[in-house]
Amino acid sequence: MNRRSSLPYTFLIPTVALLAILALTPTIYALNVSFTDRTLFSSSSNYIGFENYIDLLSDRRFVNSAYVSLKWEIMTVTTTMIMAVGLGVLMFECASPKMRNLYCLIFLIPVLLPRVCAAFVWKFAFHPLYGIVTYPYRAITGQPLDLLADPTTALMVVGFVDVWQWGFFFAVIIVKLLESLPPQPIEAARLDNAKPWQIHFYVTIPMLKAPLISLALVKAIESLRSFDLIYVMTRGGPGIATETLDMYAFSQGFIEAGKIGYASSIAVIMLLTTIITFTIIWKRVNK
Amino acid sequence: MAEIVCQNIKKNYGAVEVVPDFSLHVEDHEFIVFLGPSGCGKSTMLRMLAGLEEITGGQLMIGGKVVNDLEPRDRGIAMVFQNYALYPHMTIRDNIAFGLRRIKVPEHEIKSRTEDVTSVLGLGPYLDRKPTELSGGQQQRVAIARAMIKTPDVFLFDEPLSNLDAKLRATMREEIARLHKKLRTTTVYVTHDQMEAMTLADRIVLMKDGQIEQVGSPEEIYERPVSRFVASFIGTPAMNFIELKVEQSGTEWFVVGEGVKLTFDSSRFDVSVGQQVTLGVRPSDFEAVSEVTDRTLAGECDLIEYHGDQALVSFRVGSVHLHALVAARQRPSEDEHVLFQIRQNTSHLFDATTGRSLLKQ
Repeated sequence: MNRRSSLPYTFLIPTVALLAILALTPTIYALNVSFTDRTLFSSSSNYIGFENYIDLLSDRRFVNSAYVSLKWEIMTVTTTMIMAVGLGVLMFECASPKMRNLYCLIFLIPVLLPRVCAAFVWKFAFHPLYGIVTYPYRAITGQPLDLLADPTTALMVVGFVDVWQWGFFFAVIIVKLLESLPPQPIEAARLDNAKPWQIHFYVTIPMLKAPLISLALVKAIESLRSFDLIYVMTRGGPGIATETLDMYAFSQGFIEAGKIGYASSIAVIMLLTTIITFTIIWKRVNK
Repeated sequence: MAEIVCQNIKKNYGAVEVVPDFSLHVEDHEFIVFLGPSGCGKSTMLRMLAGLEEITGGQLMIGGKVVNDLEPRDRGIAMVFQNYALYPHMTIRDNIAFGLRRIKVPEHEIKSRTEDVTSVLGLGPYLDRKPTELSGGQQQRVAIARAMIKTPDVFLFDEPLSNLDAKLRATMREEIARLHKKLRTTTVYVTHDQMEAMTLADRIVLMKDGQIEQVGSPEEIYERPVSRFVASFIGTPAMNFIELKVEQSGTEWFVVGEGVKLTFDSSRFDVSVGQQVTLGVRPSDFEAVSEVTDRTLAGECDLIEYHGDQALVSFRVGSVHLHALVAARQRPSEDEHVLFQIRQNTSHLFDATTGRSLLKQ
């Protein structure tokens, strides 16, 4: 091998090796543990084959958490995208370039906040007795309002915080994308009898199809990692109303039963589902 | 069909005055070309007609209606852009039909009108393609079709041919001329290409620094330029200019300078003795002669550009370089001493300080 062709490898091998160790070790370890009956209470464990996986199929709480995860994905991704596109177009149409930059700056703040902080802030805002969000209801009815304790609204409130963090950020990206579009097709549409909303509906948004799909995928991946948000705000409750797969895996492994093997099998299933789903979506989109 | 009236139109960008005062009356059916160097405000003026730029002051009327504050879509205009401005994600068919769909024209009517327009422009085979699958000329044809199908009162063209190669430009120019002959729609066309202006226009509006320098038919502008700027802008190869001084001896009037003494017909010009003037002569108004007269210029030929049927002879008189267009077969050879006579009644005189033409009206 001559020097020229060996140089790239000199730089690549250490980084790739580091990455492989960091990413693959836990994955392989989890895969290994998922075939055992390992618990937190004893250091010994036995290989039990696919027993954990078979148990999962008849676990109603697992099925529920898979359903909650799906709901969570669809809810947060669509709401974030709708809000971001709406707000982005609104800024593009109504705000002067100077104001637009100011709005962008303000809209970046939520996403810069660590999610645990955001979760605590909003948890307090939704507090049934002292929260600012629930204040109008209390003032009118004199009753406390605990949205996080209601199984029908709890997931929506947590979803609201997620959309609050990411919707504004995506709106900033979308307004910048709109600004980067060539102005002539927009001007042509203005001459072609199109009203402002029609210009965006028929011309600009379709022109931004590719970046918008990428954004939606980024959000979908991001939504999968909402453990910290849910953990702080509801811990999967009330009951199991907001218990997503990662939340359930965590409570199986560390809170309730200490069944590390069982929890790992949930994690492995999540990993596989994610890989398969995203591969299919990615291929479909890139066609 | 409509006439356009611009009354004292102004345009400022902040403190910068782009168009200080623009007044023009475009007749119904007329083909008007805004011509000028880049940055002269001609595109800004067109965009104000379209409603894409706000008008700072003055009044704009299209078809007898004040349109200053109307949206572009309510002005009864259609525009063709320099870079085509097609909707990239739509097929050609949808591109053309877009405007009609927005005003809810019935689908069957859209279909028949699309067919009419596309058959005129020869776009039939491309209707289901996307704009990127078409060549530049075809894309510009789609843009024209998209403008035509709306049957507007006024067509606006913003340098529509400048993205095309020279050969295609000539073909498209012809097509636009034919189209206008057929449709007779009032048209405002912006270009910096004098060839396009000369061939297409009923009247040319020559602009400089946001102001109208001269308005007139191509012939008027070519034959009787009102200023040195107009004279230098129109005509290829460009007009020759020599700085001279007016003198009189007896009844003869001369313009005199370094190595030059030419007589001229004083009845054609408003001049006074001692006035500093610029003599303008088009290269095609020089004819090679063998004898020195009081209308000849003598010099050393230092370069010859061969154009095919003609040749451009560059020669030096005193300190200025002049160009003469001669039949290629009779061209002199380089370094030869040449003698050219100015054709009778073709020379122009401009005031050396103001640049205004001294030709009598």
